[in-house]
Amino acid sequence: MTTPLLVQSGPDAEQAGAVGAVVASLPVSFAPAGSQPDVVALAGTAGWTASATEAVRAGARGVVVVDPVAEDPAALAAVAADAGTAVVLDQAWAGNPALAESAGAARNAIADALADAVLLDSVAWGAPGIDTEVLLTRHLAAVLACGVELTGLRVIQRNANGYTVIGSLPGGAPAALQGITTSSVPATATVSVLTSSGRADITLPDASAGWPAEVRSVTSAGAATFPTLYESAHRHSWRRLRTAVDSGVPAADLERFAALTALVGQLHDEPAPPH
Amino acid sequence: MGILGAGPVTQAIHLPSLARLRDILEVRHIMDVDPAVAESVAARVGARFSTSVEELLADPAVEIVAICSPHQFHAVQVIAACRAGKKAVLCEKPFAMNGEEAAAIAAISAETGVPIVVGAMHTFDPGWLAAESAWGGLPDQVHTIRSSIVLPPNPRFEDFATEIVGRTPPPAAATAGANAAASGAAADAAEKAKLTGGVIGLAIHDLPLVRRFAPDFRAVEVLHAQTVLPFGYVISLRAGSVAIELRAAMNGTWEPSWTFEAIGDDASLSIDFTPSYVHAGSATARIRTAASTTVLGPFGHNGYEGEWRKLAELARGTGTAPHPETLIHDLEFALAIADAAAACVDAGAAYEEARA
Repeated sequence: MTTPLLVQSGPDAEQAGAVGAVVASLPVSFAPAGSQPDVVALAGTAGWTASATEAVRAGARGVVVVDPVAEDPAALAAVAADAGTAVVLDQAWAGNPALAESAGAARNAIADALADAVLLDSVAWGAPGIDTEVLLTRHLAAVLACGVELTGLRVIQRNANGYTVIGSLPGGAPAALQGITTSSVPATATVSVLTSSGRADITLPDASAGWPAEVRSVTSAGAATFPTLYESAHRHSWRRLRTAVDSGVPAADLERFAALTALVGQLHDEPAPPH
Repeated sequence: MGILGAGPVTQAIHLPSLARLRDILEVRHIMDVDPAVAESVAARVGARFSTSVEELLADPAVEIVAICSPHQFHAVQVIAACRAGKKAVLCEKPFAMNGEEAAAIAAISAETGVPIVVGAMHTFDPGWLAAESAWGGLPDQVHTIRSSIVLPPNPRFEDFATEIVGRTPPPAAATAGANAAASGAAADAAEKAKLTGGVIGLAIHDLPLVRRFAPDFRAVEVLHAQTVLPFGYVISLRAGSVAIELRAAMNGTWEPSWTFEAIGDDASLSIDFTPSYVHAGSATARIRTAASTTVLGPFGHNGYEGEWRKLAELARGTGTAPHPETLIHDLEFALAIADAAAACVDAGAAYEEARA
């Protein structure tokens, strides 16, 4: 019989990651902790890598970081590897199960589209007042999680209402990422890959409920919609954590996040684009 | 009705639209510089044909003139149609090639009293018009606009709409990779031509809609412009405080997608337009807030049919013509974007050189 891992969560992580509700939906795998947690849930606000490192040093077997902001995770990764602690990043869109390694057919369709891409057009929607840096980090994470490689990214415009970032795909096709703030549309992200003869569209929902992602592919042969998964990115992240703790095989989240952080850093370093 | 120019747009868009409106409009004269095309197209509708603009304008059976000739002839033909004392004129977009021509058209319209409609079909689409009636204060809060157009090449739809005669094959140079083979100034010139063509030939369909939500249209600034293979564009611009993103790809897809979005802090408009050529009904508009989604349409006819209905009203003296200033501003907006998009090619080259 599986012994539940005991979970401790602060109020920030609870609010950002609905930890209580998610843990309650995995009652065999997890249970709320009293004083000695096996797993610590943290909000990914500035300084999260230091907080996670502390949790690892305090003996946690697993750490879940909800919606992490761009921050260098190298030191944390080293400490977690030494301690054998699983660290999972619960990212709003990138963590959706539709993009998981196990969703092979959808990933293959996206990869096929990327190999023949003429344009990538992606939009991230956020609530008014959101820090656009946070929105952009979530957005880039989602695009990378779709298997997209981006080069030459430049911020074309940015203000409180959103941003436009332009870059290129490996074959030279343009990639346009736009962030838009509004309360009229749920906090979704869309990634559309237009090809020479069709397209692939990924719609990643707000993680606050089990709204399913949509993955659809159009080729000359017709259109395909991939199986619907009614699981939030939050719940999927916690399932991944349980698997990582049980198997002893660390998740690759921090390694991937290092690439994301580097990309966000390049955007800061880039000189002003031509007008 | 008399039509100047009987190419694929006349054959595949206007005649099928007019065939649905036989109770209010009748085609009586077709003119084309190619006599075989003029005769063939005229025969379809039982109209006279000619190869002369003057002959069509002198035909007393023609009360409304539609100008569907190449862009460079639009202004002079609009002016001639007004001077000929016709009841109304439809001019395909763009209705002029520069501000001076546009002003001359506005002046002749005012002088003769002949109403002019520009074929900006989406502004006559019942889905758009229903949204306009329902959106209330939305334009005051819009901070972001998106226009996204994904279409197969025109012949796919032309061939579902009619049987084309006299089609001109696409130039071989307009294929993927042509730019890659060129270099330096030639490649830049090709890139500029594609961007200008993309704005004036494709984006222009939605620019009057964009302008509806961008009151500071004279302050337009193009921030980025880039082509998409085999034909399309990625253009980022700003008009005052409004961010505008234009995307287009004419690829080999069978599935068209044409959307326009205007987004504010707590309300947004999203419109899905049906493809041109085929009569697939109107656009469907959605006005959203956090608490509701209002769906408007689809209705039974598209914007092309809508513009003809409008023209018939004007010819009968029962409708209100678009204000000439609106048409001029729409044109100025499109031309400014096209010029600035082309200028981005030079700026981009200089930027890459500086980086290197």
